[in-house]
Amino acid sequence: MTVVSNVTCPVCGSLCDDIELVVENNRIVKVRNACAVGEAKFLGFADPHHRRVKPLIRKNGELVEASLDEAIRRSAEILAEACYPLLYGWSSTSTEAIRVGLELAEEVGGVADNTSTVCHGPSILSIQNVGIPTCTLGQIRHRADLVIYWGSNPWNAHPRHLERYTTFTEGRFQKSIWIRYLTKLQGLIGRKKAERAAELVSPRKEAMPQTEKVEGLPPPLKAEERKMIVVDVRKTRSAEIADYFLQVKPNMDYELLQAFRMAIHDRELDVDEVAGVPVELIEEVADVMLKCRFGMLFFGLGLTMTSAKIRNIDAAISLVRELNERTKFTIMPMRGHFNVTGANVVFTWQTGYPYAVDFSQGFPRYNPGETSAVDILARGDLDAALIVASDPVPHFPKKAVENLVKNPLIVIDPQVTPTSFMADVVIPSAFVGIETGGTAYRMDHVPLPLKKVVEPPETCLPDEVILRRILKEVRRLKGMRTA
Amino acid sequence: MTSLLIKNGFVFDPLNGVNGEKMDIAVENGKIVEKVNEAEAKIIDASGMVVMPGGVDIHAHIVGAKVNSGRLLRPEDHVKDVEPKTPVTRSGVGYSVPSTFTTGYRYARMGYTTVMDPAMPPLKARHTHEEFNDTPILDKATYPLLGDCWFVLEYLKQDRIEECAAYVAWMLKATKGYAIKLVNPGGLEAWGFGGNVRDIDDPVPNFGITPREIVRGLCKVNTLLNLPHTIHVHTNNLGKPGNYVTTLETMRCVEDLARDGKPVIHITHCQFSAFAGDDWRTFDSGTEPIIKYVNAHSHVTLDMGQVVFTDTTTMTADGPFQFLLYELSGNKWVNSDVETETCSGIVPFQYRRKSFVHSMQWSIAMELALLIQDPWKIFLTTDHPNAGPFTHYPRIISWLMSRKAREKILERVNKKTLRKSLVPTIDREYTLHDIAVVTRAGQAKALGLKSKGHLGIGADADIAIYALNPETTDLSRKPATVRKAFERAAYTIKDGNIVVKNGEVVNAPMGRTFWLNVDAPKAEIEISKILQQKFAEYYTVSYQNYPVPEDYLAVSAPIHVKAEVE
Amino acid sequence: MTIIKLAPKRAFKTPVNAQTITPDAFQEKTMSEIAELHVWEGNRRRKLGELFHISEEKTAGSESLRIEVSGDLRKVRWIGAKMTTGEIIINGDVGMHLGEEMEGGKITVNGNAEAWLGSMMHGGTIEVKGNAGDYVASAYRGSTRGMNGGKIIIHGNVGNDAGNAMRKGVIIVHGNAGQFAGVNMHDGAILIKGNCEGRMGADMHGGKIVVCGHVKSVLPSFTIEAVRKRVKFEGEPVEGPFYLFLGDLNTKGKGKLFIAKNPNQHLSFYEKLL
Ligand code: SF4
Ligand SMILES: [Zn+2]
Repeated sequence: MTVVSNVTCPVCGSLCDDIELVVENNRIVKVRNACAVGEAKFLGFADPHHRRVKPLIRKNGELVEASLDEAIRRSAEILAEACYPLLYGWSSTSTEAIRVGLELAEEVGGVADNTSTVCHGPSILSIQNVGIPTCTLGQIRHRADLVIYWGSNPWNAHPRHLERYTTFTEGRFQKSIWIRYLTKLQGLIGRKKAERAAELVSPRKEAMPQTEKVEGLPPPLKAEERKMIVVDVRKTRSAEIADYFLQVKPNMDYELLQAFRMAIHDRELDVDEVAGVPVELIEEVADVMLKCRFGMLFFGLGLTMTSAKIRNIDAAISLVRELNERTKFTIMPMRGHFNVTGANVVFTWQTGYPYAVDFSQGFPRYNPGETSAVDILARGDLDAALIVASDPVPHFPKKAVENLVKNPLIVIDPQVTPTSFMADVVIPSAFVGIETGGTAYRMDHVPLPLKKVVEPPETCLPDEVILRRILKEVRRLKGMRTA
Repeated sequence: MTSLLIKNGFVFDPLNGVNGEKMDIAVENGKIVEKVNEAEAKIIDASGMVVMPGGVDIHAHIVGAKVNSGRLLRPEDHVKDVEPKTPVTRSGVGYSVPSTFTTGYRYARMGYTTVMDPAMPPLKARHTHEEFNDTPILDKATYPLLGDCWFVLEYLKQDRIEECAAYVAWMLKATKGYAIKLVNPGGLEAWGFGGNVRDIDDPVPNFGITPREIVRGLCKVNTLLNLPHTIHVHTNNLGKPGNYVTTLETMRCVEDLARDGKPVIHITHCQFSAFAGDDWRTFDSGTEPIIKYVNAHSHVTLDMGQVVFTDTTTMTADGPFQFLLYELSGNKWVNSDVETETCSGIVPFQYRRKSFVHSMQWSIAMELALLIQDPWKIFLTTDHPNAGPFTHYPRIISWLMSRKAREKILERVNKKTLRKSLVPTIDREYTLHDIAVVTRAGQAKALGLKSKGHLGIGADADIAIYALNPETTDLSRKPATVRKAFERAAYTIKDGNIVVKNGEVVNAPMGRTFWLNVDAPKAEIEISKILQQKFAEYYTVSYQNYPVPEDYLAVSAPIHVKAEVE
Repeated sequence: MTIIKLAPKRAFKTPVNAQTITPDAFQEKTMSEIAELHVWEGNRRRKLGELFHISEEKTAGSESLRIEVSGDLRKVRWIGAKMTTGEIIINGDVGMHLGEEMEGGKITVNGNAEAWLGSMMHGGTIEVKGNAGDYVASAYRGSTRGMNGGKIIIHGNVGNDAGNAMRKGVIIVHGNAGQFAGVNMHDGAILIKGNCEGRMGADMHGGKIVVCGHVKSVLPSFTIEAVRKRVKFEGEPVEGPFYLFLGDLNTKGKGKLFIAKNPNQHLSFYEKLL
């Protein structure tokens, strides 16, 4: 039995790096510090129902087992022949694999796109319009006395976000009433009960920083309590613990944000309510924003994927930007997949663009809506596809899926997925962050190492290695073609 | 190929006292050697050409978190300047914030082979190194931002210099860094709550330490640790009218720490820190007192931060300065604070000839370069991409070498600038020897990179050959010829390999990453105990996951440094 | 006049980049030279003659050049990009970026046009008999420089973000418009004869937007200024009455937003503020 500590959890964009795993006979038997979602991943990833360890190739309509060499050769043939292949996924693998993936996309003159195309793509387009004032998560822990969650419900989507970075944390300059509340709770009721309560909000009982004890530090400033505002179309669990909850009419976030921009400048509104929120409340909350010392606005898909999309984020960022004329304010998208941020980062340093990069003319070209996966699929522009560590079939629009499976399709994934069932070539890979290492970027762009904790099945190579072999084979084929 | 013979070039190798003499340079196994067997060596006929050591850039933002946010911010900048894939190169985009591959190729095309990225947030060190691994050809290194780290502020406040030194040694190793970088010391911590410091004696909120104490403290640490470069300082009040006073005080405040007349401080992109005037209306050049001071003292080196009239992207760790720039320009703005350490900002910016302030900035950098007498004290940079993309260096070389070229610029600038600028009165024209100093030899010397910036026996065989004949060309009268020659090197040789021929990349090997392996064993063990204790409290990542392991670097080149602390 | 006729030889599956189909590129070229021009089909470089039937017709009269492209052109992008002169007629539906960065001449589409029609154009005229997609006359990603001159007339409907970051020129839509017409607009004029899905003029700095049909609502960052009987558009009066709103106040904008009064009874509450 070995204990591996400080493991980074390869599930969501919170990328908690304090996970402790107990490993026995190449199996993870115990998980400490992770939330339920993370724990389920570490314990259940190897479940044979979701995993097949041999490569498959479709022959006469049937997926049959094949050797890895054969699967790689077939993949390379498909990609080398294609006029407009789509290489999609990338958000649940390591940056090392993404680097090779982009080289492959360039070599085959394809389009590389990552999953931000269907989540925070609009946020990125908006950043390109107006910029973004942001920070790392620790900055919030230390300084933020106001946290706003807009169209995002961290309690469900990023379970440990509140506990590690925001409402339930304390930092150098910022106390938390919640921590004290929980400590008191622990004293009052039995140990077991308290643990269960703490499990809900703060599994790390040592979370209380001991600033005063450390020698030579100036005592932390006496700060006011951290406030929390939730804006959403429905009352979520996160909303229940908020100081303010604003229920916005569906698809009217844009109007509300623009009204806030008016309110923080003391500009009068011609109307009495905006998006279902009375103007007095808007003005009151605007005042809370202006009076905070350090504010943070987290936004989620509730903002990026509704009606005004990019413009919602334009307005949200503009609001935060303008708040900086009066106080300190920051904003951050709540990113989903554990390395979707990393995918954006690698795409950007290699090509200048964060997603939806079209290499068909030999250089990177970018125009989401035109060069983005869903749109290419919906129009049926592609003639082959490679999907890496992603499962678009159950999530993409029907028309897009039709066009995806109509063309030659290669899937590299550690798991059996609906997409892999539809593929022509399936190459099983090692689980990134469990069976193979690498780098991932947290939602605030902090890079963290992923660890290899157990050995993968012999036939499952890391994505990076598989992609490199396909690339090599493509080059060999292309060399033959030109020769 | 293992050996090379470069014949008959006009060699400029200032560190070895070679000034344009016709001679041969021999290369074997990636190093400069006394001689090679002519029959076996590949011969490059450099007759009628200039031969210099490969270019060295002491300060260019080419990789890392901030640069990459700049790339993300500017699709409209990339779309006008693309690099298609070739059989030996990767594709990419250019202009003000080029993609990593393009950065490597474009430097190499100009004959540059070593580039320093000057601003790495330690928490995001992995990011910097990942991008280095995709930056071909160049040797490179990076400076961690240490001037606002809480640990540094706390140690220095308590005057615990040795512990601070041990911490810095640990940080250089943990981040695989090369030098101590300070940006608006104290101001960045203040920016955590939207504030700033006013001058070098304005205490940092919540920490009580002054910028002066930070600069002096880290300067002492630098000496204690025996680091090859000096502290690398972006001054307080950068970019504000009247800031030359702060710059002078910053240089003065470490005057007594100098030993044996050696430099102890590098003031980077000095142009941005040499402003006079009370506000933008009364804006003026503040170069004269700085020039006088630098001419009279030997403990300072500078780099220019030359403004080029173009559309570029400003990016510094100076969060409050970038916010000011956003307010001035109304352009899109990125701010990114990094917990416990630093911050950064990005604003696209257009320098216009007809703007009084912008053209004065052009003039200020020129005044510094032309009136500071000793070229070993001031180096050619644009603070890429802040005052302009590095691809404009050849243009700047032509300005330095030709009064005529400068006059041509002055013909088209703001009329008020013409009245105020000292440039029209300056006759000095750089020689090729001077150019070799300010673009390679001087920079390598200031960086303490012993194998770079010269062509002596044992040096790395990084060589630039330019199709420029100083015997037959009147360099001062032919600025365009000079510019073109420096834009497209006839040959660039990196570690003995020809990587560029006639301005085109023909081979793109991966260069090294230098970092300092500072030896301060005892102090460090203690410091790591304290670090471990405080880490969970200061950071949201684990102590164990913070350091960048050496195998993370594609080509790791540690430089062993023996510290004076035990 | 010389008329050069093009028709696809086959249905295209992958996008075709046909930047070379412009009067500028065709001018003073023989038919065989035109057939040699490069186009991209996905990642393959092709010759124009490989993908299109090309024929020539000469009529008496002027020296000018007209290109007629007929067929299913939905995958064909960038026709007429950067053109400065001459005429293109498109018979059929056409793909994205038609007339992008156009500087002069005229394009007529007898059919529908996809997104980015006339984006960043500086001059010339584009007329679409059918509908047009999103981002008509818009700026590229991250840029604040949209259409900077010329005229676009669309007889059908347009998608979202028409006239994004527009600086000069005229857009006339006879049908309906999606959301965010004139978003980030600096100057120029947009006339929408049909209905509008709302959020017109968001973050506009200046310029003029006229909507004759129904609008969902007006953004809270606009303020009512007056009711006007009619409004002048390109020197011609358009009969109202119109509500005149000013904005976008969030950008301290001086834009004018005219919304027809009669189809928009739900806005009548604004009148009591006058
Ligand atoms: S919050 Fe996310 S990263 Fe953290 S343990 Fe849960 S699933 Fe893993
Ligand atoms: Zn700099």
